[in-house]
Amino acid sequence: MILDTIRSMRTSGILGMNNRNTEYIMAFNPRSSFPLVDNKVLTKKLAMEHGIPTPTLYHVVLHHGGISELKTLLKDHREFVAKPARGSGGSGIVLIINHTEETYVTQSGKEIPWEDFSYHISGILSGIYSLEGLEDDAIIESLIHPAPVFADVTYQGVPDIRIIVYRGVPVMSMVRLPTKASDGKANLHRGAIGAGINFKDGITLTAVHHSNLITHHPDTGNPVNGIKIPYWEKMLLIAAKAADMTDLGYIGADLVIDSERGPVLLELNARPGLAIQLANGSGLLKRLKTVEAAPQNVFETPETRVAWAIENFGI
Amino acid sequence: MRRFTTILVILLFIFSAAIIVYRVVRLGYPVIPAAPGQTWHLSIDAHVKNNGKGIDISMGIPIDYPWRMLVEEKISSGTLNFNILNEGQNRFGVWSGQEGRVPGEEMIFYHATVLSRPKRFYKAVLPDSKAYLFSGGDIEKAIARRLTDKWDNLPLHERITAIAGTVSGTWGTPSPDRGDMNAWAKVKEKYGNAKALLMLCQSANIPARQSEGLFLRQSVTDKLSKWIEAWDGKRWLNVWVETGDIYQDYTSFLPLVNGGAPAVRLTNGEIRDIRWVLVKYVTDRWSLHAERTTRSKSFLDAWSLFGLPPEFQRTFRILLLVPIGALMISVLRNIVGFPTFGIFMPVLMALSFRNTGLIYGLGIFFGVILLGYIVRSFLDKLRLLLVPRMSVMLTLVIGGFTILALIGNKYGLREFMAVGLLPFVILTMTIERFFVLVEESGTLEAFRTACGSAAVSVLTYVIISWEPLQLTFFVYPELLMAIVGIQILIGRYTGYRISEFIRFRAIKGSR
Repeated sequence: MILDTIRSMRTSGILGMNNRNTEYIMAFNPRSSFPLVDNKVLTKKLAMEHGIPTPTLYHVVLHHGGISELKTLLKDHREFVAKPARGSGGSGIVLIINHTEETYVTQSGKEIPWEDFSYHISGILSGIYSLEGLEDDAIIESLIHPAPVFADVTYQGVPDIRIIVYRGVPVMSMVRLPTKASDGKANLHRGAIGAGINFKDGITLTAVHHSNLITHHPDTGNPVNGIKIPYWEKMLLIAAKAADMTDLGYIGADLVIDSERGPVLLELNARPGLAIQLANGSGLLKRLKTVEAAPQNVFETPETRVAWAIENFGI
Repeated sequence: MRRFTTILVILLFIFSAAIIVYRVVRLGYPVIPAAPGQTWHLSIDAHVKNNGKGIDISMGIPIDYPWRMLVEEKISSGTLNFNILNEGQNRFGVWSGQEGRVPGEEMIFYHATVLSRPKRFYKAVLPDSKAYLFSGGDIEKAIARRLTDKWDNLPLHERITAIAGTVSGTWGTPSPDRGDMNAWAKVKEKYGNAKALLMLCQSANIPARQSEGLFLRQSVTDKLSKWIEAWDGKRWLNVWVETGDIYQDYTSFLPLVNGGAPAVRLTNGEIRDIRWVLVKYVTDRWSLHAERTTRSKSFLDAWSLFGLPPEFQRTFRILLLVPIGALMISVLRNIVGFPTFGIFMPVLMALSFRNTGLIYGLGIFFGVILLGYIVRSFLDKLRLLLVPRMSVMLTLVIGGFTILALIGNKYGLREFMAVGLLPFVILTMTIERFFVLVEESGTLEAFRTACGSAAVSVLTYVIISWEPLQLTFFVYPELLMAIVGIQILIGRYTGYRISEFIRFRAIKGSR
């Protein structure tokens, strides 16, 4: 029985945690490059140098003394996002849609006083949300207005698109749709929906919610498959370029589609999760092996890699 | 890289195994340290009278063999000097007093603990036969020759059986002449059974020697038993001179002297009374072994953990098992896919369960986490910075321990007082992790992780509390290298985790 299970997982080419850690992350992601993706300020700067669009950086708070000056600095920006530079899993992010000097309105409509807001920034600086609990910086950047394409299947928050890139070749992707349970966060283990994407045309396939296969959004009741994602090829290209700039061989690129700017790179992840396989109903390992067997000329430019990926990983 | 890892692991295993084999084979370590061992306590007591002319008493004492180990020896010599004399195959305890001493009576004793290990490889050596030549008169030789001529065609073993039979008069086949048999009975009367047997053996070209010692059975005696050891080509057969019975089993006797040397020798003085006492005991092998290592000169023995003061030995008996606990966690996390808080938290919890006991330990663990969670939720509203907030939680945990201890004292619950040794820092961090996990992944996930940690702690606790395992690692600390080897192997395990079969079951079979 168990042997059958192992065999069927092998033949479906599912990538396991141990295999991902030793054969892909440890083998292709040099430790020295981790700060580039773990610290979103560095990622952002690098992306700007390489002409990759990201949310506009307004300000970085480096120490507690810098919090009070935020009051004046934020005057110019009606809406913005505050988040930890080294946060993980979407924790510590606040979306502010309007504010006065004393009151801040979050996206869910909650009004929070300046004290609460500055406490939150101070928490970020103390490292509450950072990966290793070390002191952190707080980023203030432009708020994303998500394109309406996912409006029917999103409960608050911003849906994002995760693309796994292996040796510069996009291999698998999904769109992560916030739900009521996920508190507007696009994070699968918090209860967001993950919907796999067909590489050929950027149309959503199967979807997974709490590791169960679903067809409709639990909150809005609209079908989550068959949605055509705009800028599909452009997003694959951004992901492929992002992988180039970091020197990391196995990353997850998280993008969002802004209604005005189009696709922007939100962050990179050097340890992308495995749930994407559930969302696509397909194993990653098989695709990684396909990339390993690809002819050398495929790897020449981001464009050739994307074209090859669309041809090989489309359904 | 893979090949290098494999070689490294194999080397670790081999090295670890080699030291263990060396210890077992060369230094006589017990293979299973926790197994009960059968020991014999031999004591030789004697009352001696010193007549002032320079007394000198030597007594045969046992020799150390792998199959009959001398675990401990104690000597009392009164006012006499004592030393040990090795003489060929024999070992003598020698008590001596100088001339001109005031005459008087002395009590001397020799005490030895002998570990009987019948399963050990018994290597019999045929000694130089010249050392054991015994010659009677020519007449006796002639009779012996006539008797043994009849048996010359028999295999060695049967020849010895026939010779032994002369003692009881059950003559072997082919039976000798009646006249010779009668003549031999006279020889036996004249020389005694022992010498008669030796003459026959010599005549039959069988290497033989006389041994003196004790039957291995609980006994008190003032006279040693004698038997003839006859070489059957492979080993010594023991022929008891009283009956001619043959004992093939070398563990039936405890020889004290071989080759006809006297078991007790005395010059200038008087032995008032002497007795040999054998008592049987059953004890743990390792405890016997511990005493032995302290006297050994071997490097590995001298650097054995048994050399540590007893209070530190206890610590190391447990410490040496912690890597197994860590190994368990590697297995549970990387092969099974168990969620736990951190890596070492379950190990530290398991260590503290040793003081509190399992039930109380688990109760305290969940109690502290629950209380901590409530307080942490409250603290969240106070908006404290990270480090001061953790300090408050730490103080809370320690305060909780203090109250528990006071309650324990009031109601006589020792387990509550032992709580102070719980890893409070780890518990504090666990509360924080628990809180963050509840916030990020929900109560269910956090509770599952807490239960996972508790389960791993209990498993680890069971392992490190298992005494036979503690002893094994204490006696053979090189096993840690093998543990590292296994840990490296797990580190190179790239297969699926068992939990992933469930996690990815939805994909199974599709495309």
